[in-house]
Amino acid sequence: MGITSTYNNHFLKIAFGLGLFVILCIGGFSYKHTQDLKDSMEMVKHTYEVNLELKNLLANLKNTETSEHGFIIINDSSFIDSYNSGRIKIAENLKRINVLTKDNPEQQRNLDSLNKAIGKRLFYLSETLQSYKLGQIRSPKFISSFKLGNLKMNSIREQVQTMITYEDKILEIRQVQNKKALERTPIILYSILILTLLLLLVAYAIINRDLKVLKENNEQLNIFKESANLSEIVSKHGSWTCNIDQDVYEFSDNFYRILGEEPQSFESNIENFMKFVHKDDVQKLTTQVENMLIEKNLPFIYYRVVRKNGEIRHLKAFGELYVNNEGENNLIGTTADITDEVNNFRLIEERNEELERNNKELSAFNYVASHDLQEPLRKIQTFISRLDEKEYEKLSDSGKLYMSRIKKAASRMRLLIDDLLQFSRTNKSDNITELTDINELIEAAKQENIEAIISKKAIIYNDEMPNMMVIPFQIKQLFINLIGNALKYSKDDIPPVINITYAKVHSLEDKNLPNLTHGYYHQICVIDNGIGFEQEFAEKIFTLFSRLHSRDEYSGTGIGLSICKKIMENHKGNITAEGKLNEGSIFKIYIPS
Amino acid sequence: MQNNLINIVLADDDEDDRLFFTEAFEELKIKSNVSTYNNGVLLMEYLNKTDSILPELLFLDLNMPKKSGIECLVDIKKNARLKDMVIAIYSTSASEEDIEKTFVLGANIYIKKPNDFKKLKKALSEVVTTNWQYQTDSLNKDNFLLRL
Amino acid sequence: MKLFLKFDVKQLCDNILSNQFSNLNINFRILAYGEIEILDKLSKTQWIDVKNTLEDYGITVVEDQKSILIQKIKDAIIEMVNDEEETITVKSSVYLAEKLNHSYGYLSNLFSEITYTSIENYIILQKIEHAKHLITTSSMTLTEIAFKLNYSSVAHLSTQFKNTTGITPSAFQRIIVKRREITL
Repeated sequence: MGITSTYNNHFLKIAFGLGLFVILCIGGFSYKHTQDLKDSMEMVKHTYEVNLELKNLLANLKNTETSEHGFIIINDSSFIDSYNSGRIKIAENLKRINVLTKDNPEQQRNLDSLNKAIGKRLFYLSETLQSYKLGQIRSPKFISSFKLGNLKMNSIREQVQTMITYEDKILEIRQVQNKKALERTPIILYSILILTLLLLLVAYAIINRDLKVLKENNEQLNIFKESANLSEIVSKHGSWTCNIDQDVYEFSDNFYRILGEEPQSFESNIENFMKFVHKDDVQKLTTQVENMLIEKNLPFIYYRVVRKNGEIRHLKAFGELYVNNEGENNLIGTTADITDEVNNFRLIEERNEELERNNKELSAFNYVASHDLQEPLRKIQTFISRLDEKEYEKLSDSGKLYMSRIKKAASRMRLLIDDLLQFSRTNKSDNITELTDINELIEAAKQENIEAIISKKAIIYNDEMPNMMVIPFQIKQLFINLIGNALKYSKDDIPPVINITYAKVHSLEDKNLPNLTHGYYHQICVIDNGIGFEQEFAEKIFTLFSRLHSRDEYSGTGIGLSICKKIMENHKGNITAEGKLNEGSIFKIYIPS
Repeated sequence: MQNNLINIVLADDDEDDRLFFTEAFEELKIKSNVSTYNNGVLLMEYLNKTDSILPELLFLDLNMPKKSGIECLVDIKKNARLKDMVIAIYSTSASEEDIEKTFVLGANIYIKKPNDFKKLKKALSEVVTTNWQYQTDSLNKDNFLLRL
Repeated sequence: MKLFLKFDVKQLCDNILSNQFSNLNINFRILAYGEIEILDKLSKTQWIDVKNTLEDYGITVVEDQKSILIQKIKDAIIEMVNDEEETITVKSSVYLAEKLNHSYGYLSNLFSEITYTSIENYIILQKIEHAKHLITTSSMTLTEIAFKLNYSSVAHLSTQFKNTTGITPSAFQRIIVKRREITL
């Protein structure tokens, strides 16, 4: 949009300049052609004048001749007067022709010879007149003069005709030239006009388009303004501007609503606004507003307002400097009503505290129960072992049976307490993750299970693991439990083979990570060839105290996998189980990468 | 293995545990002189006597009233006369934290009280044997760490 | 007034031996801890004199050949474990049998009988002690230490370390480092 508009602006400027230039050109052309037209008319007029003067000259010559002849025939003096005035007129004619043809050497030459011829003719006229006055009419001299005069008259006629023809010819040439120029003029003028018109049209179209865009923008601005108003209502925001230089404030409609007032129901200034501020916050807010005016910036501030009905609202405000085109400093700010958030936060905090308290009590209870129970149980077991060793032979058969039952029950209790203690230790939330060599943890977990590994001739393969951010002793416990499980639930007829594999997966690619939006995860699979389980129990095996087998078949407390689950929750990861009865099981654990 | 009596001291507030401990040594037939103290305060009183015979092996229960095993350990390690004693922690709990903490503070041995008398005897025998090896084979006692 | 004495038994013993043997005018040299070689040929009376003189200092001449052999086995094992240049390439049983000129079966039975522990266990103990020494004093990694002490893998070393001491090598290292931080 910006680029197009500057481009348009350039175009408009160029079009305007071009238009101006074209109009100037048209003016110049028009002036020149009018001038040419005028010249052409002058030329015609000149030619006519010359021709007229020549014809007049001829006529006057004829008149003079006729007057002379008239005098000779009738002998009336009036003819002499006419003859004399004719001669004067001829002289005038010649003078004028001379003036008219001054700038034409050809005509001047013609005029010269004409002048001489007329001089001769007038001479012959005066000769004959002289002869007549002397009475020598029909004298040879008279006759020859008369004849010569007549002849001269003919040549004069020719010469005048020549001059007229010449003048016409010049006129014709010039007229052809002018005509050509005049013929082109309209076309040039017309095309220039068309061009100008086109330019004007394009300029108009562009201006029109810009106007349309402007109009659309205006409309969008209006819509935006309206939606801003609406969104202010929905999100409980109010906006305001403050002209720092002139100390003028403007509050949006919803700003008034936040204060519990009708829009624009009071003058928007800081004094009126301050009336609403909670009295405990006035001091704080005043300092911040003063700072805002000095530093031309308003960081996040929190304060309360009291509506007229006494309701207290929590507000949060933030402002930023905006320098407008005139260079005035304006602060544009937003104020949000965060009362609901504050209330919700308080509620959540209270609930969290309660939950935390409950959790602490529960884990403390769990820990104390399991930890303190250990001691008496240990003694019971030790005493049993003493009895078993020293007094066994003295017991009756049923006594021996009871003894073995007591031993079994105590062992079971030991198992339960140990697992519960383990579980409650896993619950502790103060564990810190650290970058850990997982290979070492797996190795340690194998060591913990070394007796079972040796006795069952188990083979454990594991991929090279990268370092991960984990709580080391918990992940070690996880591997101890998973490897322990794989060994415990192995088939009797074949030695257990446990594969521990590694892969890096993305949460989008793995269906076991649906609700987790962490990105990449370390996936570690513990795959065994044991007795497996039916897939429908895959979820159930992770719940506390749940067992798939009776105690006679496999010993266990149903806590081990719950601990695993808990550990993975602590790591914001996941653990899943896949099983196939009599084929084996796969436990997949996911640790955020 | 050794000709002389070895002096062994146990500080434990639990009567039964003291009983198991002394009985175990009796049955082990190690020429030993086992004395027990009911709490840390009594133990330290004895050790701090200038004419006291320092035991070759000192067993400390962690959880004792008045003065815990850890407190005794810290005091012993601060005392130039006492600090070279071999100290075994003898406790019900076996959390990794406790174990590492006591080792760091200078304990040499950590025994989780077994729940079987045979295991107890085995553990105590192993402690005495290992200790004897450290004494006679002039091994570096700083590296003497044993967890049972 | 009470005095607390601290003394070096070896130095004490060496000094007593030097003094007494020079008194008796007998040349000798100290071979190892508790083992000396008498360079002169001793007469019956001289021999009795030596025994009686040393007895006054609580030093008994061990005439029991078995005990001497045990000490020799131990010395050979320590030498083998500390073998820096890796000159010993044969199996420990072969090495001991050749060095001490007895069959391995005889040595093994004798060792178990006297020390209540097997030669194998003693080797492990010494190796683990050596590993401890390397962990605490050198900058070698566990892999390097495992290689140096002729273990097939780090896992093997870790397993043996854990079995012998009850803790893992890394836990051991951590504890020693923390201990040093406290005492410093």
